[in-house]
Amino acid sequence: MLVFATSDKGGTGRSVTTSNVAYQSALAGNDVCYLDFDFGSPTAGAVFDVDTGKLLVEGGGLHSYLLGTVADPHRCDVFADSERLSMRERPLGAGRLTLLPGDSGGGEFPSSPEMIRRCRELLGRLNEEFDVVFVDLSAGRSYALHMALAAVADMRPPPTVRWLVYHRWTQQHIQAAGGLVHGEHGILETGVELGHDRERLLGQLRFVRTAMLSPAAQGLTAEQAAWVKDWNGDLQNLARERGAGALYLLGSVPLDPVLQWREQLITNHDLTVSRIANRATADAFAELAELIVDDDVWDQR
Amino acid sequence: MRVQPRQQLLEIWQAVVDYSFKDGQWHWGGRDGRNSISDAEQLLCILGPATSIKPFTLDQPDRVEDDVLDAMKALGGRLDIPITLLKAVEEYLTTYTDPSGTPIFSAGNYFRSSDPDHEKISDEQLAQPVVDSFAISLSLSLATIGFARQFRSNLKRRSARADIDRLEAMASKRLTAAMIGLLRSFTVDIFDVDSREGRALCRTVNQRGLSTRRIVPLIQESLQEIRASLRDVTMGSGAGLAEDLDHPDRLFECGWSWGVVRDAPAITTKEEVGEQAPGFAEPAPYIYFTSMALDAIETLVSARTRQLGLLNEEQLRLAQGLQLRWDLTQSYWSTVSVANIGGARWPLEDIPWQRITENESEYFSLHVSSIVVQDLVRKRARDADLDRVGLVLEELANRSRITRRVFGGDKAYQVHAPGFPIELGGSEADTGPVLTWFLSDFAPLLLKRTISLAGLLGDPNLRGRMLALADQIWAQLDSRRLPGERRRGLWDQPRLVFEEYDVVYETPSWYHTKRVVDCLVTAAQVLTEPPLRSTQLTEFAGDLLSEADHLYDQELLQGSPNGGQAMRTELQELQARLKRARSILEERPGTAASLASDVLLRLDRFAAARSDLDGES
Repeated sequence: MLVFATSDKGGTGRSVTTSNVAYQSALAGNDVCYLDFDFGSPTAGAVFDVDTGKLLVEGGGLHSYLLGTVADPHRCDVFADSERLSMRERPLGAGRLTLLPGDSGGGEFPSSPEMIRRCRELLGRLNEEFDVVFVDLSAGRSYALHMALAAVADMRPPPTVRWLVYHRWTQQHIQAAGGLVHGEHGILETGVELGHDRERLLGQLRFVRTAMLSPAAQGLTAEQAAWVKDWNGDLQNLARERGAGALYLLGSVPLDPVLQWREQLITNHDLTVSRIANRATADAFAELAELIVDDDVWDQR
Repeated sequence: MRVQPRQQLLEIWQAVVDYSFKDGQWHWGGRDGRNSISDAEQLLCILGPATSIKPFTLDQPDRVEDDVLDAMKALGGRLDIPITLLKAVEEYLTTYTDPSGTPIFSAGNYFRSSDPDHEKISDEQLAQPVVDSFAISLSLSLATIGFARQFRSNLKRRSARADIDRLEAMASKRLTAAMIGLLRSFTVDIFDVDSREGRALCRTVNQRGLSTRRIVPLIQESLQEIRASLRDVTMGSGAGLAEDLDHPDRLFECGWSWGVVRDAPAITTKEEVGEQAPGFAEPAPYIYFTSMALDAIETLVSARTRQLGLLNEEQLRLAQGLQLRWDLTQSYWSTVSVANIGGARWPLEDIPWQRITENESEYFSLHVSSIVVQDLVRKRARDADLDRVGLVLEELANRSRITRRVFGGDKAYQVHAPGFPIELGGSEADTGPVLTWFLSDFAPLLLKRTISLAGLLGDPNLRGRMLALADQIWAQLDSRRLPGERRRGLWDQPRLVFEEYDVVYETPSWYHTKRVVDCLVTAAQVLTEPPLRSTQLTEFAGDLLSEADHLYDQELLQGSPNGGQAMRTELQELQARLKRARSILEERPGTAASLASDVLLRLDRFAAARSDLDGES
């Protein structure tokens, strides 16, 4: 299964959420692989806390592979190569968690038919090898997004694909996320140009809300809570109008101080030993990981 | 109001789903087993609120609110809830259609024998259609059609859409059949002034002790218009009787019998509704069934039904026929019960209402009050008239031991449990004993009428009194819930309130639960209206506000804003409060007065501080 993660704008927590979901998916026993397609700023290594010595591969990452300079992109085994001791021990029953980093000095570049072909080949191979392949795309209407759409359109046999669109729960982010999917040169329009079926593509697509502040959150005064509840209702309406309503929602991730201050994986250690992360956040990641592989959720009715 | 519709309804929904949906299957039946009425009641516990109060919408999955979703989670996620409900409705519609395609409107175990030791009720008797079932099928079908149409747009698969369309067609067919049933159970009972019925009617209306010679023409005169309109009744039962009405020695009653009346002609219709079997019911109005039918027809001709276009052409034609009967019946009962024929008190106030075909009971006073309340709404009646009905409701609450304690040997509580039996004339059908029908919804019905009356009252005092009564009735209903944490939202265990009543029920009664749901829906509708505004309070708030305004302006005149940052901030805040108070003065005078008081107090702090300079301390 191929899971593409994209977002309307930067700063939505796309990479950190996808990394955590991938981690939870591996904990649940899936063999998981994570591709850093954020060519503008490849940072996945930092989130996974992979030893820079093992991560760094000048000229051996995904960029180099797509440009054709290496035959196989570099791979890291996150459970083995992580700098965090609490990550090193692969938990019982967990699957593999493999990271394919980008080149450190890489940058955005336009795609070419040859690159699309290489991309398709890589995705096809990984899809056979792993249960879930997460592809972290750049924000907005990027070359990476275009390349991914193009690569998937021609894959035979058609793979199981999920598109996740991350956005924060604010007016601008909702508008932007709706626009990224339904707007001009958005995912649907571009997808259709590249040969996708519109309804089918829409059926593979769900939104994920990040950094959600619940109206029931502690620390709000009664007035703030009253306002937040009503404004939340307005945002729901806005989301519905923009096609990002409850029916197209996969899940939400609550606001968590750890993720705000440091982008990292939330491990069991953070929950039970140092207790710096909230249980609800980890649960939300685990639930997303579960929903992604639950066919009933993606069933068109 | 101590009734909190949202919280209560969610609790009920959760309990209903918990009870009815197990292992992916809908489980039917409760304390009285299964029949076409009970099953519809069970469904309407959910579909009723879902199609009449906005926050309880279920047919637009992306609008379902979180607490609602939580209450219904036994059914699954947003999309599963409507699908499961519609599946249950489909099962209902299939069950209550016989192999030849004729919808079934029988009442099963709701029928009781008047003579249990003697004869067994025959199958033929049990299969007789009942007005109650027509009425509830009307509500259920309308709810289903509206729900299905709204939900359809959320489905992508063609087969799923086709399923919904098929279901809608089935519901529509049942709707037509129910309307035809109602048209065939309407009746006009004509009798001589000297008959038992005639004397009873004269006695009820005659509250001033006039002679029969004088009261009869008065009655006839006040019913003149209704009599004229009865000529327009051309299809179904009760048609073609106008000639008999012109006789000066005749009086009449109109309304609904308990089922399709004897010799009721079949209705010609283009719609496919199956066989229209001959009726058995005695052609005389039953006040209980009349009030049920009126309620149902009200939904049929409501703005919602029109706006959503729920009826097809043929149904619109039938609805017209029903609306005519609705108008006539409303006016008839309203005229007879509250018109000042002969002056003095209203016949309605002479409790209990005496019936001709049935016994005498508080129940009939309650049903007549129901009809009167509906009629008063239509006529936009004055508070004074509404208040008189309110007094009747208070008296009924008293007599039925809701607001009074049950004393030793007191039998008045029996109106709640086991209920009040009425004999269904003609139900023996030559094959068994006469059937009876138990009415036991006194408390919920009274609550519903009390709340809707409260919503109509414009005077805060009168409304307050009605709401206090509503609270008392609710307190009784609240204690009659089935015990057990997971069944808190289900009814009915009268034993918890009436010690003498020693029957213990293990399973819920959908009859009662659905009626409680109806009350809560009415309460929610009343609460959606803006609060009452008393002119007195508005004047008071206005006066306070003008004093506050004046003092504030004085402060400015004194140059107080030059007094530094703290002073300026305080003055700005006061100004904002005054502005807000003025903007809400009309809608919420009480709040405006509080804001003005706050400003006055804070301005007084300056004055108190300054008074120190005058040497007052």
